[in-house]
Amino acid sequence: MNKDKIFKLAKGFRGRAKNCIRIARERVEKALQYSYRDRRNKKRDMRSLWIERINAGTRLHGVNYSTFMHGLMKENVQLNRKVLSELSMHEPYSFKALVDISRNAFPGNKIPKEGISA
Amino acid sequence: MATSSAVQPFKGNLKKALAGLRRINLDGLRWRVFDAKGQILGRLASQIATVVQGKDKPTYTPYREDGDMCIIINAKDVCVSGRKLTDKLYRWHTGYIGHLKERSLKDQLQKDPTEVIRKAVLRMLPRNKLRDDRDRKLRIFPGSEHPFGDRPLESYVMPPRNVREMRPRARRAVIRAQKKLEQAAASETSRKEKKKSDERSEIQQ
Repeated sequence: MNKDKIFKLAKGFRGRAKNCIRIARERVEKALQYSYRDRRNKKRDMRSLWIERINAGTRLHGVNYSTFMHGLMKENVQLNRKVLSELSMHEPYSFKALVDISRNAFPGNKIPKEGISA
Repeated sequence: MATSSAVQPFKGNLKKALAGLRRINLDGLRWRVFDAKGQILGRLASQIATVVQGKDKPTYTPYREDGDMCIIINAKDVCVSGRKLTDKLYRWHTGYIGHLKERSLKDQLQKDPTEVIRKAVLRMLPRNKLRDDRDRKLRIFPGSEHPFGDRPLESYVMPPRNVREMRPRARRAVIRAQKKLEQAAASETSRKEKKKSDERSEIQQ
């Protein structure tokens, strides 16, 4: 790639990496490697963020993520985690209905074992 | 800042309690109150850490600081299990060679009880750029009074916990201690009865 293309890709870099071709070439190569890797990582990160949000939303209703998903799988609800996380953020009543569906399908063990404390 | 008029005025470092409140963007954040009395240190700290990070809200975003303000009262009454009161040591190095200092939990509680909980929570937060902002949201007080009485506070109910059954040796020790107390009480009452009967016999004679 010629120098103009490299400098175009190096906009916003720190220090000499945006001005001097030798350094810019290295940094741009690294940046492109990172972007290749992160296009695949982004899918993983987004899914884990959806799972965190669903977890938080269900715990507000007393159910944790694992029992919730198990109940939904039993009821054959095909909603994916992206949609579920959007529901938990913006549509609280619909989400509560889903939590109730899951709770009916799989009650889970809510009662903690009564430990014998002296 | 107006101090609460219903309860007695807050003695203690008001400046420290209100420090940096302007830096936090406070719209829509709740004020949660944790009562540390009788709670185990680590278990309480992990719940506080989840609340301060904002991980109990479905609108959690990792790059935005969204946790609730946490007020912790009765910090000096926090409990630990085992021998940690004397054996848990806080260590730090001053930078000079050979100067590794340590202080036990008991001494730290006497010196500054809020530091115990603050260290516990801070060490449970992820080490990123938001950690200092989250530290600013923690307000810890050793007693049970705080200057935030005029705000809408919500107390936090700790989730139910299954306490482990006592180990056989510890259980036997507790039973022995109970029996000793009962024997002491029984011997005192028997001694009192003997004294009364002696007096009565003396009076009769």
